[in-house]
Amino acid sequence: MSKLWKEFSKGLWKDLPPFKVVLGLCPVLAVTKTADNGFGMGLAVIFVLTMSNVLVSIFRKIIPPKVRIACFIVIAASLVVSVELLMQAFAYPLYQQLGIFVPLIVVNCIILGRAEAFASKNPILLSAVDGLGMGIGFTISLTLLGGIRELFGYGTLFGTRIMPEHYKPFSFMVEAPGAFVCLGLMLSAMNIFTSWQARRKGQAVLDNPGHECRSCGICSR
Amino acid sequence: MILNSLLVLMGLGFTAATILAVASKILHVKEDPRIAQVEDVLPGVNCGGCGYAGCNGAANAVVEGKSGANVCVIGGIETAQAVGAVMGLEVLDMELELAFRDCTGGQRAEELFNYEGAGNCRAQALLYGGAKTCPEGCLGLGTCEAVCPFDAIHMGPEGLPVVDPLACRACRKCVEACPRGVLSIVSMSAKLLHLEEVNDCLAPCQQKCPANINIPRYIEAAKNGDYAGAVNIIRERNPLLLVCGRVCPRPCELDCRRTHVDEAVGINMIKRFVADWEMNNNLRLHIPCAKETGRKIAVIGGGPAGLSCANFLRRLGHSPTIIEAMPELGGQLRYGIPEYRLPKKDLAWEIQGILDLGIDVRLNQKLGTNFTINDLEEEGFEAFFMGIGAWASGTMRIDGEKAQGVISGTEFLTGIGLGQPPNIGDNVIVVGGGNTAIDAARTSIRLGCDVTLLYRRTRAEMPANIEEIEGAADEGVKFIFLSAPTKVIMDDKGKATHLECISMELGEPDDSGRRRPVPIEGTEERYPADTIISAIGQKPQLSCFYTEGEEQCNIDFTRWRTIDAHPQTLQTSIPMVFAGGDAVSGPDSVISAVGAGRIAARSIHYLLTIGKIPLADNTLRRLIPYTLFKDVDGCKNKTRTPMPHNCSGDDRISTFKEIEGCLTEEELQHETSRCLRCGLICYDRDIPLENVFTNRVGEKVE
Amino acid sequence: MKEYFLLFISAIFVNNIVLAQYLGNCPFIGTSKKISVAIGMGSAVVFVATMSASITWAVQEYLLDPMGLQYLQTLTFILVIASLVQFVEMFLKKAVPPLYKSLGIFLPLITTNCAVMGIAIICQREEFSFIKTVAFSFACGMGFMLALIVLSAIRERIEVSRTPKSMKGTPIALIMAGLMSLAFFAFKGMI
Repeated sequence: MSKLWKEFSKGLWKDLPPFKVVLGLCPVLAVTKTADNGFGMGLAVIFVLTMSNVLVSIFRKIIPPKVRIACFIVIAASLVVSVELLMQAFAYPLYQQLGIFVPLIVVNCIILGRAEAFASKNPILLSAVDGLGMGIGFTISLTLLGGIRELFGYGTLFGTRIMPEHYKPFSFMVEAPGAFVCLGLMLSAMNIFTSWQARRKGQAVLDNPGHECRSCGICSR
Repeated sequence: MILNSLLVLMGLGFTAATILAVASKILHVKEDPRIAQVEDVLPGVNCGGCGYAGCNGAANAVVEGKSGANVCVIGGIETAQAVGAVMGLEVLDMELELAFRDCTGGQRAEELFNYEGAGNCRAQALLYGGAKTCPEGCLGLGTCEAVCPFDAIHMGPEGLPVVDPLACRACRKCVEACPRGVLSIVSMSAKLLHLEEVNDCLAPCQQKCPANINIPRYIEAAKNGDYAGAVNIIRERNPLLLVCGRVCPRPCELDCRRTHVDEAVGINMIKRFVADWEMNNNLRLHIPCAKETGRKIAVIGGGPAGLSCANFLRRLGHSPTIIEAMPELGGQLRYGIPEYRLPKKDLAWEIQGILDLGIDVRLNQKLGTNFTINDLEEEGFEAFFMGIGAWASGTMRIDGEKAQGVISGTEFLTGIGLGQPPNIGDNVIVVGGGNTAIDAARTSIRLGCDVTLLYRRTRAEMPANIEEIEGAADEGVKFIFLSAPTKVIMDDKGKATHLECISMELGEPDDSGRRRPVPIEGTEERYPADTIISAIGQKPQLSCFYTEGEEQCNIDFTRWRTIDAHPQTLQTSIPMVFAGGDAVSGPDSVISAVGAGRIAARSIHYLLTIGKIPLADNTLRRLIPYTLFKDVDGCKNKTRTPMPHNCSGDDRISTFKEIEGCLTEEELQHETSRCLRCGLICYDRDIPLENVFTNRVGEKVE
Repeated sequence: MKEYFLLFISAIFVNNIVLAQYLGNCPFIGTSKKISVAIGMGSAVVFVATMSASITWAVQEYLLDPMGLQYLQTLTFILVIASLVQFVEMFLKKAVPPLYKSLGIFLPLITTNCAVMGIAIICQREEFSFIKTVAFSFACGMGFMLALIVLSAIRERIEVSRTPKSMKGTPIALIMAGLMSLAFFAFKGMI
């Protein structure tokens, strides 16, 4: 049980994407104009990630190692197609909002990264929990980033007006530059927090914990 | 619909798979499978710290043999062992490499202009090469600190980067970032192999020292009470510190910047203090050696040059064997320098320390008599160092030189050294003005003789150390200057009774810049003498190089009948034979021989390991002009500690007790505090830098 | 002709694939530490994006559209791109080893580069003709390369500058990318 909790919770804080593990940046930047969009995207990712982890874990013993990446991609792509169809059926406005980024979940490094680094080596239940945890962490991050950008960019949160009437929307935040700068500032805030925490615990302070794209493992093949 | 999609997908997948399968067969490139294996065990961070393009590049380099198992700078010993396991290599201890800061200027360095730009050394260096007057010094804006990925460099209180040896992983990021080349990555071997360059931070004393000992650093260590550190710094350049602490003519002190304030720092007294401290406490500080290479090198001659060469070769990991013609090691140190200057027990202690590193010795083996170079080659020796010294005496070229009672200075001193003092009678005349002549004279005094020293020029032209001349005068040696021998008068048994001399006057300067003595006709005089010691010039004994029956020998000689060796590599005309010390330079100081021994060891090391001897264009060849000042401002006077003496009076002139003594700890404190800790152009001032007006600017030397 | 010129300008500057369309951000941040690496990655993307957009155009035109299987777009495209990348890698290794040495190590990274797939999908959504697809995908690749090289140049300078400790590495790179994106905003008025 504690092991399950460990695998689940690491996605929520220790390896929280995309802050602790800088992966899957494109949707993070593109769909976080509003908290809504971020949340919707997050849900789609949770679905694909959990399912792909489960499937990869089921087939892990019969997939030949040489073509495993291709197999992972096919599994992810099939799941993404089903998400696309589901969204077209039940959440068409959101589907239109997210646009091209729904099919692009396929190439989100988180999916392949988790499949390669975790699901292909672990049993089904653990893999499912890992995918779920990572997905929820990703959703929280997306919603948070979307919330901040929406709050300053439109003055609203989940569509409801929060900022006072005379607040002039800071439209920089919802444009591309705002996405980059906002994420950069959040990463740096995260660093400050982590090093403060480490210092409090008396541990060695690492300069940049995990901020290298070394964690997905694909490029080292 | 479902069937269609299934068919399309299967068709596509099948096509793709077929194409790829066929392509992988057709386009297969044979690749060493070990590349993938090596890459697997590397961290996969692609940091580039190793100097190759990513981990794949590093793996390629390892498999191609361009790089060793220790290619990865961040992986540490575990990764190296894993790589070694793949490659079937054994990982031995890697020599520790660390970033090393050369500059000692920091806040002491004067500013060329007031810089207010971006706080980055590289930015500042773009502006007239940086805001410091020194062309080589640290700019102090901490770019190295910023680029260090391991948090191992911090700007210290002196405005200089301080490397944390525990955190540094020798990744070279700081070396690449520094626009001034102040930082370098060095290992113990690299330090021993380094030839001083004009871009290094070299105080005048270090430039002048024939062995280039880092004098300011060891004085600073001694000042801080780190005597062991000081000993280790000296040992990087000079393994004979007990010896040099006693007999060095200290050329370094001539160019000490303090001579422009009051008197030179007693550099050698400080060296002697730390060397004596080690010996008197019988510490035998650990001397690190690189890992064993098993290459055998013959060092012929166990004098200072041979000992130094063997010492450095051993520390670089090779296996030298010293082959000595005399019954004991030491060469001129043992058989030339008398006991009262260098006690034999101190010499033995020092030599033992060097031999303890693992150096083989063969005594009583004379080149040309007992063995030849070819014999050694057959035994498996791969390189040879000729440190055979200059033991042949020049002759006086006068009548009666063959008379009984006429001996050469080296012969006389060697006899004393061997414990077989020749019978010299009461009246001794020594001819010559060098250290050998003085040593012979002072030794004769101690044997109870009446000694006269004859020199053809004046006291000012004598090549011997001033202290030695003064010492001889104090002990009662009579000097006759401007006088040269013309004839030895014998009795009927062929024994010398008198020496006939002629007075001289100084004429035009000769090649050496000294005024040539010219005899004055009709001024002949006769002095009674039982023994005449001629100490006029020594030369190497080159006869050992000629094999019997052959006219020509393979080694080239100079026209002064010394061995001809390349001045920077000391390689002779036979590529695997190197030579150094008096055999190359003619009679010179111990410290020059020690320096030559290290240079030869460096050349031999490179020739054995990489097949050629690298030489930088910017090697230090003469003193750097802009570092030699005429005046030194901002410093207060501090009197030099006088040389302590152990004995005086009768005790001094009738026994061979050591004369010069060692500083006390208080005296050492005083003397080290006199050092200005010079760099190329910076030095410690007693008043703040702002109050000193200076317009001293160094020139970049390429 | 004018149309194609405008297409180029639009794809490279106005709608820069990274800075305005948020595509290919992972490699944009990941491989922009050194100019040499950025040039290699950029050229690899130009090459693969052009090839994959052309091939996927053909797949869509002659396979998916006639059979009414548009919903399989994602699946087929990724399959085609993945195989293509693998094939190109093998081909370069055999046929043009020098090119493989400079581009090869970046090719596996491209499979998961959403810029490549994104470009292919955009071409379909805009319903470009084949020639236009080739031109557009090439221009988009160039836009990616331009952004990547500029950012890597900035990062090489930033590496030696004083940066707050928490900002070192990725955070400051993201902020720089944001400022570049802001600068590219200025091109909006061009067309």
